[in-house]
Amino acid sequence: MAEENVLTAGALTLEQDWKMPDRGTVGIIFLIITETALFSIFVAAYLIYIGKSLVGPYPKDVLELPILATICLLSSSGTIVFAEHALEKGHLGQFKLWWIVTICLGLEFLTATGLEWRKLIVHDHLTISTNLFGTTFYSLVGLHASHVTVGMVFLLLVLAVTLFRFPIETQKRRVKFLSWYWHFVDAVWVVVFTVVYIIGR
Amino acid sequence: MASIDYPLERPDIEDTGWHFAENLYRWIATVDHKKLGLMYIVSALIFLCVAGVMAVVIRLQLAFPNGHVVDPDTYDRLFTMHGTTMVFLVGMPIVAGLSNYLVPLMIGARDMAFPRLNSFGFWIFLFGGLLLYYSYIGGSGLSGAGSAPDVGWFAYAPLTTKSFSRGHSVDYWALGVLVSGFGSIASAINVIATTISLRCPGMTLSKMPMFVWVMLVDAWLILIALPPLSAGQIMLLLDRYLGANFFNTQHGGSAVLWQHIFWIFGHPEVYILIFPAFAILSELVPIFSRKPLFGRPAMVGAVVAIGFISLGVWAHHMFAVGMTSWSNTFFAASSMLVGIPTGIKIFNWTATMYGGRIRLLTPMLFCCAFLLQFLVAGLTGIMLAVAPFDWQLHDSYFVVAHFHFTLAGGLVTALFGGFYYWYPKVAGRMYNETLAKWHFWLFIIGFNLTFIPLHFAGTLGMPRRIYTYAPGRGWEIWNQLASLGALMQAAAVTLFAWNVIYSAIKGEPAGDDPWDAWTLEWGTTSPPPEYNFEKLPVVRSSRPLWDLKHPNDPDWKYE
Amino acid sequence: MSIETHHGEAGEHTEATHIQLPAPTFWPMIFAFGITLLFAGLVTFWAVGVVGAIIAFRSAVGWWDNVIPHEEHEELPIDPAHRPAPILVEDRSVVRVQVGEQGHRMRIPIEVHPYSAGIVGGLIGGAAMAILACLYGLVTQHSIWYPVNLLAGVVVPGLGEASLQQLRQFNGLAFVAALIGHGILSALVGIVYAAIMPMFPKYAPLWAGILVPLFWSGLVATSLSILNPALNDRISWPWFVVCQLAFGLVGGYVIARSTNIQTMQSLPLAQRAALHFPTDDTKSER
Repeated sequence: MAEENVLTAGALTLEQDWKMPDRGTVGIIFLIITETALFSIFVAAYLIYIGKSLVGPYPKDVLELPILATICLLSSSGTIVFAEHALEKGHLGQFKLWWIVTICLGLEFLTATGLEWRKLIVHDHLTISTNLFGTTFYSLVGLHASHVTVGMVFLLLVLAVTLFRFPIETQKRRVKFLSWYWHFVDAVWVVVFTVVYIIGR
Repeated sequence: MASIDYPLERPDIEDTGWHFAENLYRWIATVDHKKLGLMYIVSALIFLCVAGVMAVVIRLQLAFPNGHVVDPDTYDRLFTMHGTTMVFLVGMPIVAGLSNYLVPLMIGARDMAFPRLNSFGFWIFLFGGLLLYYSYIGGSGLSGAGSAPDVGWFAYAPLTTKSFSRGHSVDYWALGVLVSGFGSIASAINVIATTISLRCPGMTLSKMPMFVWVMLVDAWLILIALPPLSAGQIMLLLDRYLGANFFNTQHGGSAVLWQHIFWIFGHPEVYILIFPAFAILSELVPIFSRKPLFGRPAMVGAVVAIGFISLGVWAHHMFAVGMTSWSNTFFAASSMLVGIPTGIKIFNWTATMYGGRIRLLTPMLFCCAFLLQFLVAGLTGIMLAVAPFDWQLHDSYFVVAHFHFTLAGGLVTALFGGFYYWYPKVAGRMYNETLAKWHFWLFIIGFNLTFIPLHFAGTLGMPRRIYTYAPGRGWEIWNQLASLGALMQAAAVTLFAWNVIYSAIKGEPAGDDPWDAWTLEWGTTSPPPEYNFEKLPVVRSSRPLWDLKHPNDPDWKYE
Repeated sequence: MSIETHHGEAGEHTEATHIQLPAPTFWPMIFAFGITLLFAGLVTFWAVGVVGAIIAFRSAVGWWDNVIPHEEHEELPIDPAHRPAPILVEDRSVVRVQVGEQGHRMRIPIEVHPYSAGIVGGLIGGAAMAILACLYGLVTQHSIWYPVNLLAGVVVPGLGEASLQQLRQFNGLAFVAALIGHGILSALVGIVYAAIMPMFPKYAPLWAGILVPLFWSGLVATSLSILNPALNDRISWPWFVVCQLAFGLVGGYVIARSTNIQTMQSLPLAQRAALHFPTDDTKSER
């Protein structure tokens, strides 16, 4: 019998109580784990090469603490949570507001990084090939900035479709995953900031 | 419960008409885990044949002293591409292919967790592989300075820097492997999400088939170990394209850093590659011994332990680099430590066979050969973990023999067993047992004839990657035996390929459950329908089909 | 937001005659092709990379359309011709061996002596050993400190080269080192005794009291020349063996007197590791 193939006695109750974790949640968690492994190699390379540059400029001469950008990026983690909550409750206007604030904060961070790089390249003549500091600095901060950029593209996409009256409330799950990714990018910045601007200086 | 009539005569599986465009579309647009799994395995087997031909050419070149079968540059490319292909374009897709095909069937799911990501993963692996092989025709041209990578599969700095490797050969290596690595990451995330989220009702982690457990830990290892390689390749590309100084010793960069990064990936990688063999053994040995797996919890514990310990042993590849004696001690000790869980697995498979009613069919024969060959590989591994011993034999043919015993004698041997075992499920037809037995004996004799003598050649001082050698060092006989063995292996693989193709057309219909097996994939048709199970199964023990076959004596009463 | 069930994306709304599966799409394949071309541009020609970027962008849009707002599905008819054959029921059952069943030799300790008994027994045995050793010092060298100093020689550097005269005198550091080392080792061996004595196949007193001390003496005899060569020259092996035997007999006796306690060896691993708690249901089966 077909039923014998798949069912055993008393199994129906088992089927009703059977709850498994959401596949998207699992996926995004393990995506973050694998990204962490990627970042840790660049962080390790940075730590190993601290103080090994043969020629200047050295970090203590040219690096300035990006306090404002850091505050912006870290607070955007808060604003994206507000946006998520607003979406959860169905307040679409609030959602849009907080989402735009998040984007602005993220853009401020990217602009600050861009200006910092411009200053370093034009004014201090530090490029990726100048010395080991340049090599590790641009690659680590650049890797992080590229992740911020990817996050930003998705944030803008969500905003764009929302403004074009796409029913974003159908995508609560995906918005949640995007916000997790954004938190991850923020957490990485805490590490990068500590390593580059505090330990490395 | 409604009774359903079962047609005893089933219509033939294959559609008689052959519509090329339709079929092509069906395969490239598919998101079905079975089709993708098959495509992974078939492309891996094709790459296996390509890299195998390269190995045969290498063996011909080395068969006699002062050989000139190929010129030195081509030789360098051959061993580089052989190693790179075998690891990244055979081993990795085999991992992805096996878990793709079997994991959803074994846990009673209809598809993988992310079907489209799955399709992306396969195609980017394939295109990455093709990009790597495009180096033979692209790059700086067929006879230019560039062409195919020639820096060895672990591409040590500073040989890979711009000043020592002009042209694009190293870039092809880095980009091809980087791109195909995305596929492995995608497939690993998919396997983890599938096993965690899509198990059928009743299948708790403690009831999950051992195969799925091993593949789950394997996916975990891929996620942790592959990004370091990608990071290293990104650094290498930055060095080569933008003039960064990661591995540029002129600017204070460190060539040893590349070795660390590479082996942080590289050592877990060899466990990633051998895990499918563990997974296959854990299914086949019980089935062909008619006993449940001995010490299942210990087996799970051992595989999880390997999944963590193997992350901390990488520098045993670097004893000869001149690390501190503390590092040497640490990595020697941790490398020996990883032998403990591996030993547990060997003992438990043996204990599963002990007292069982063993059916010595081809799949089981391959399992037995695996146990012996992998044991030898493990023992030479422990020898090489002893730092002073490694200083003597580092980069010698002893090392080559050691890792070919793990990968060819271990992985490939177990894979053949697994292929024969699941062949009736995939093809719906039985393979030819006589041909398979010929394949087995030819392959096993050929393999041992190749690689046992290489231990001796290595002990006599023959370095690996050597282009040719002068007569009179006592290496000739071992190399001639090895080359003879390589030809036997090639013949064996040809038999295997013939058997696979021939039996798919002319083989006996296999039926749903030819082995009297216990896991869920044997509870559906052969080949399974696209939806796998008409109604999702509900399981109560780790051997669901046993429970159905023995309603008076089910497993769940004891678990 | 769709409610996630264990079916995953596939088969969320299974009907009686059809099964829902994710719809085929070639966009992931095109996307992979675009990404590869993007990277290939680095080694070939920049225009290849640009074409790759365009392809990747177009296919990303295609992929997006495929999953947003909802993943596209196809309804696959259930094919009655390809139903699995019924599973044949086999009446034959298998014999399952229970731990401790007749004829099944027990190799795992179902019961052990409590660890506390091991520690106490080890310490008392250690004391007996120390008394005998001091007696030896008194008899041969007229000093109870002689064996203490010798024992400390394993850890205190320089004692090995000390003269006989120095070895007879009280040495505070050596005394503390010897006391701690001897105490800890005695307690540890006592715990091992407590755990493994119930596992000795037969004649536990003989094993614990005589054979294990002899094995231990043999082990020390082979390795002492590496640990402390100077001490190796001075040690008196007959007395050493006698002291070991005193430990084995006294310590073993004290431990053997304690009441055994049950271990969890017969429970499944998951339960022992506190990963799985038995429900009432499985308890009643047991």
